[in-house]
Amino acid sequence: MTGPLIPMNIIPEAWNNVIALLIGIGFGFTLEASGFSSSRKIMGTFFGYDFVVLRVFFTAALTAMTGIIYFDFMGWMDASMLYINPFYVSPAIIGGLVMGAGFALGGFCPGTSFCGIAIGKIDAMVFAGGLFVGIFFFSEAYSLFESLYNSGNMGDALIFDMLGMSKAVFAFLLIMAAIGMFYGATFIEKLVKKVEY
Amino acid sequence: MNKNYLILTILALILGFGILFMPDIKHNNEIKPEKLLLMVDEPSRFLSSDVITDRLVKKDPALVLIDVRSAAEFKTFAIPGSINIPLDSLLETSSLEIMGTKDLDKVFYSNADVAADQAWIICKRMGFETIYVMQGGLNNWFNTIVKAEKPADTEPIETVELYQFRKGASQYFYGNGDSTAGQSQQNTQKKTTILMKKEAGASSGGGC
Amino acid sequence: MKMNKRDGTFYINPYLGGILLGLVLFASYYITGRGLGASGAVKNTVVTAVHSVAPTHAEKSGYYSKFLSDDDSPMNNWLVFEVMGVVIGGFLSGIIYGRMKLKVEHSPKITDNKRLIAAAVGGILFGIGSQLARGCTSGAALSGMAVLSASGIITMLAIFGSAYFFSWIFKKLWI
Repeated sequence: MTGPLIPMNIIPEAWNNVIALLIGIGFGFTLEASGFSSSRKIMGTFFGYDFVVLRVFFTAALTAMTGIIYFDFMGWMDASMLYINPFYVSPAIIGGLVMGAGFALGGFCPGTSFCGIAIGKIDAMVFAGGLFVGIFFFSEAYSLFESLYNSGNMGDALIFDMLGMSKAVFAFLLIMAAIGMFYGATFIEKLVKKVEY
Repeated sequence: MNKNYLILTILALILGFGILFMPDIKHNNEIKPEKLLLMVDEPSRFLSSDVITDRLVKKDPALVLIDVRSAAEFKTFAIPGSINIPLDSLLETSSLEIMGTKDLDKVFYSNADVAADQAWIICKRMGFETIYVMQGGLNNWFNTIVKAEKPADTEPIETVELYQFRKGASQYFYGNGDSTAGQSQQNTQKKTTILMKKEAGASSGGGC
Repeated sequence: MKMNKRDGTFYINPYLGGILLGLVLFASYYITGRGLGASGAVKNTVVTAVHSVAPTHAEKSGYYSKFLSDDDSPMNNWLVFEVMGVVIGGFLSGIIYGRMKLKVEHSPKITDNKRLIAAAVGGILFGIGSQLARGCTSGAALSGMAVLSASGIITMLAIFGSAYFFSWIFKKLWI
């Protein structure tokens, strides 16, 4: 079977929502089991006492990336059909900076806050409430953000094309960087004083 | 614990090197037959000769009229303002550059519809947008525009206006509607054609 | 790591978690052709809510109208079901590992209220930022990295870079 299955009409469109629910359950379970429902565990990455976010995040991204590249190579999946978020240069950077500030204050990101809600974290509920308010505010004040929101459109840009590298070289360097980072994280954890949470 | 991490590291290294030595994957981005069938059925891929004539007279820069007949036929007679890309040289780089220009309406014509339709399907399969076929081809254009027949005075006003438009266009191209005079005119028209083509190339942002 | 898995202190190995999460993300791409997401579901809920309260306002607005279509409500969307799954999945894991407990988690140096205010402000900022960047940590950064999209990697660098900076400013909230 050549993936992606639903865009290729191998699985009917009607299954979309059922699959969404199942994938969501897998997503929520692994996030919670890895400790992403605790804001203080998440924040450990930024203070060096617990690098769980760094490890889970990069392992996950690289596992999926490797899977996609190998399936594409074997002809089991058409990687050119996968959805690529369009790249708008300045909104991506400014949005990321704003999200970083929100991260440092709130201690969650949207996905992990839903996990926190599931196990009864009140701070996660307040954070998710803030998300609604923030998105509502953005939508209402859209005319203020409109020119920024639409600026610097580069289309469905891929990072290795922009750097003038081949996909293989970039993926390889990313894996090497991640391995280096994981060992570095273990090293830093040993130096930093443990925080009880 | 440490031993497991070592195994993981080695596994990641092997997978990483595997990617590094993987040959580049080429994707077939052609349109699926089912989708193409729907597009072929779509009547909006045809443009009438009147619409095209109107845009030619107004010197619309977003229009490029492409004659897909052979170069010899193009020399003998062609619609003024059109350029010649014979069907067999459709896939040359210079022609692909025109096809890939996004803000340009590419309109094919041949004597009838057939060769133009073939060009249209080839280009559509390659994923090009805003490509059209001139309905009825050169024969229809010649009969309706150059040899426009004067309607009777009893005809509705629209028909008379259409005739006047066609007559005017014909005079615009060929002076007094004399087709031998048209031959000399054609050479000057070709110059503007070349200019148009360059403009298209300059604004093309990579194309395919 | 204690062997008693039900006292709430046990977490799975982060690399195991990462590989599992990577497989979920890969399955999402393999089956549906798109990655994971979270903030999109909140956006769809906001759009639906505004549309049902003030339909003309939503249709006139430059932003809501992007996500409204005639035939189906934006609520009927992939991401909303996915986020419902996230809550269910988190709930299951919470039960299995014994972490179900209503509480506010914060540094011992601050009060509950201070933590909740910070969480609300953080949520608002995250909401605004996720709309600007067209996705959050899961939708833009994690999924984007898996397909090596430029937006994913740039957004990821911006989020983590700025979070490192701001977390030291707001250090008191955490340690």
